[in-house]
Amino acid sequence: MAGELQLARAVSEAVLAISGVHSLGMGRYAEAATYGAGEKVIGVVVSPDEVRVHIVARYPLAEPIPILAERIRERVASRVGLLPTTVVVEDLQIMLDESL
Amino acid sequence: MKVFNRIIIILLLAGLFILGVFTVLYSFDIAGYQLADLPSTLRLNDLYEGSRGFFRDVERGNLDVLDVATLVVITLLGLLLLFLELKPPTPQRVLMQRGAYITRSTVKDEATVAAMQKPEVLEANADVKAQRKPGAKVDIKASVRRGENVRDIQSGVQDRVQQHLDRMGIPVDNLKVEIVESDPRETRARLR
Repeated sequence: MAGELQLARAVSEAVLAISGVHSLGMGRYAEAATYGAGEKVIGVVVSPDEVRVHIVARYPLAEPIPILAERIRERVASRVGLLPTTVVVEDLQIMLDESL
Repeated sequence: MKVFNRIIIILLLAGLFILGVFTVLYSFDIAGYQLADLPSTLRLNDLYEGSRGFFRDVERGNLDVLDVATLVVITLLGLLLLFLELKPPTPQRVLMQRGAYITRSTVKDEATVAAMQKPEVLEANADVKAQRKPGAKVDIKASVRRGENVRDIQSGVQDRVQQHLDRMGIPVDNLKVEIVESDPRETRARLR
């Protein structure tokens, strides 16, 4: 359990560092999170079968969504080992042009 | 099917509960209920006789039309329920490629925005269905003023939505656009 939480935390940090990811998603039908004793990591679901990452992507997109998803999977792969990774794009967040 | 199954289980458990209460009442002779009276109270003898007669008729091939029709309906109903139970549920998210999904609401929002980019469209609503294979089924209903060139607008909206979703990398398996002539006073946008 502690290992799952630790892994979820590491995946969360890695995903948030990727350009094109605005934030981690909360889940639509049920909360997407990994739970531990008195703590939870929202947006990353670590189970014995897979690691599922829920994201909110930045809009406008710098690249098509499947390419962003692939970059996330590649970045996460080194941390999750043999576990398959699934990326769920929950929403798009419109970013205002900061130069304006 | 989940709701149907739940209703069946609730009814079954309620029936078992009532049966359990009566079994206790009859087993311990509570309030004058006696186990020996149970078959006559439940009219089990009539039931036994009726079912014995029915199965005798089935063995002899002596069924009337109503019985045959009832049996056929029960068989078909059973087949239908079996099929619905075995059918895998429709996925909630749109599969883009192996290991990558997008929510239906996101696809719906983007399809609506793209359709609304056509100046003739006063209002657009999209319905998105996910499939087990990659790609979404997108149905768009767009409202335009009466007298507009519906065919041109339809192909224009279709191209616009397809291009927009392609640019985002969202695979679309089936895109349908329906154009409805509406009174601008009844749509979200009266003037474009």
